[in-house]
Amino acid sequence: MNDTLTAYSGLLRSSTQVALTYRGRIVLWFVSGLFPLLLMAVWLTVSAESGPPAGWTSADFISYYAAAALLWNLSGQHVVWEWDADMRSGDLSVRLLRPIHPFHQYTASDLGHRAVSLMMLLPVLVLAALLVPGINYPLGVFDAVAVLAAVVLAYLVSLVMASTFAIVGFWSTQAANLWMLWWGIGSFASGWVAPLDLMPPWLRNAALVLPFRATIGFPVELMIGHLDIRATLVGFAVGLAWLAVFSGLYVCLWRRGLRRYQAVAG
Amino acid sequence: MSIEVHGLVKHFRVHQRKPGLRTSLRGLVRREYVEVRAVDDVSFSVAAGEVVGFLGPNGAGKTTTLKCLTGLLHPSEGTVRVLGHTPQRRESSFLRQISLVMGQRNSLFWDLPALDAFEVNRAMYRIGEPAFRAALDELIALLNLEPLLGKQVRVLSLGERMRCELAGALLHIPAVLFLDEPTLGLDVNGQAAVRSFLRDYNARRGATVLLTSHYMGDVTALAKRVLVIDRGTLRFDGNLAVLVEAHSPHRLIRLSLQRPVPVDTWSAYGEVDSVEGAVVTLRVPRAETTAVAGRLLADLPVVDVGIEDLPIEDVIRAVFAGE
Repeated sequence: MNDTLTAYSGLLRSSTQVALTYRGRIVLWFVSGLFPLLLMAVWLTVSAESGPPAGWTSADFISYYAAAALLWNLSGQHVVWEWDADMRSGDLSVRLLRPIHPFHQYTASDLGHRAVSLMMLLPVLVLAALLVPGINYPLGVFDAVAVLAAVVLAYLVSLVMASTFAIVGFWSTQAANLWMLWWGIGSFASGWVAPLDLMPPWLRNAALVLPFRATIGFPVELMIGHLDIRATLVGFAVGLAWLAVFSGLYVCLWRRGLRRYQAVAG
Repeated sequence: MSIEVHGLVKHFRVHQRKPGLRTSLRGLVRREYVEVRAVDDVSFSVAAGEVVGFLGPNGAGKTTTLKCLTGLLHPSEGTVRVLGHTPQRRESSFLRQISLVMGQRNSLFWDLPALDAFEVNRAMYRIGEPAFRAALDELIALLNLEPLLGKQVRVLSLGERMRCELAGALLHIPAVLFLDEPTLGLDVNGQAAVRSFLRDYNARRGATVLLTSHYMGDVTALAKRVLVIDRGTLRFDGNLAVLVEAHSPHRLIRLSLQRPVPVDTWSAYGEVDSVEGAVVTLRVPRAETTAVAGRLLADLPVVDVGIEDLPIEDVIRAVFAGE
């Protein structure tokens, strides 16, 4: 454990340096990080033309999507692409030869990139929260702690879920595409495209037990004060349960997958 | 023993795909697989501090064996022990004691200077600051890295990058060093620098080195013992000189003469390998070399004479050809 923490310090430093290398890439991250705000614009138009859908006011949408932009940037699902590229090229071999599990190497790399991305986005969102009328996060101390815990849980669920799909690459070259398909469902069931309150009841009910809501919708709903204590506890329970499921799956697939690894390309 | 390998077998199941649209369509519903035995019943051991060259043509099984020894691949059959560890368990204590340098792989960070990658290695291998500084200073001096440390890895030449790769791989002072084509693509100066460094590293640290290379110069410069592998099977394990003697029944006598002599003179001494003016190279049976050389000196106007073995490339070619 101590070894891993020491390694994280070095890996985080280098991944942050890598993330800071290209200015153009940072700008692209920043712009793509604001994508939920486009979805917000759509809903604001709908709200203005047809009245508040399901009781959601313009202020609710603004608060929701500003928080969703933050959560989207904090998602750990980007690790899929790095895993996938390394498995195809054989560069996973380099990581396997190091005395730190590749999971930690990819996670540290992702955290470095998240840090740079947030460094750009967070000031904008904080300014927006202070200056844009209607944005409201009614958080007491207990709520703030709960939100922080939900955000950490969101990162962990998205990270472990994505890593589990990534190591399907030991069996198939289509792991990244499989993830795309999975996240195609997730984009609706997570609350990323639209708040789950606005979804058909069957999807809303399904989303409550699927893993996706824990990655975006749950912490965002908590931030904007839409959840009572019972719904909060259920949200945490579902998120933790999925974290346990994907962690177990990951460990199992990893052990079996390593036996199949062919260390391709030289 | 540093390395012990008994009955190592590694086979892969490979999708067989034939050309043509019809076979592509058939492949959608029915796939054909073949089992490829990349390594077939290979056994050997390497003592601590020994430098061993691993020779074989492309696809012979050299790299697959190295990957089994480093834990990247799980053996299909047989046992492998390196420093008392079973490599495929990938124990941290094992990984901290080995290094695999692959000529065609980049283990540094493409967008960062090599020094940053070295710092990451320091954290991952938990190298203390004094030990890190001492190892780095030594490697900087031996590999002449000072001018390279501040440059992004992606702007380095292949030779410069390989020197940095070697330094990164050795910072934690591995007890066993696996080298897979470490001089691949390097120019003559680059090859010489890497060879000289590896020889020096082995002498200073007493590290066990297992080396594969297509450049015979790497092997002759570094290893006394060679393993020759072909189509997954170990064909020879022993001293390089013994290999040369066993597979090379001839030696070369190189003569510098005061003046050219008639071509038909040479048939009495041996087979002509080459004639360049007054310099003649003869190929003679190994057992008769001394006697023939004596006769040549007595009979002809010889200015200088040299006796040497056939180039190692020719010997290895003979081994693979089954001669």
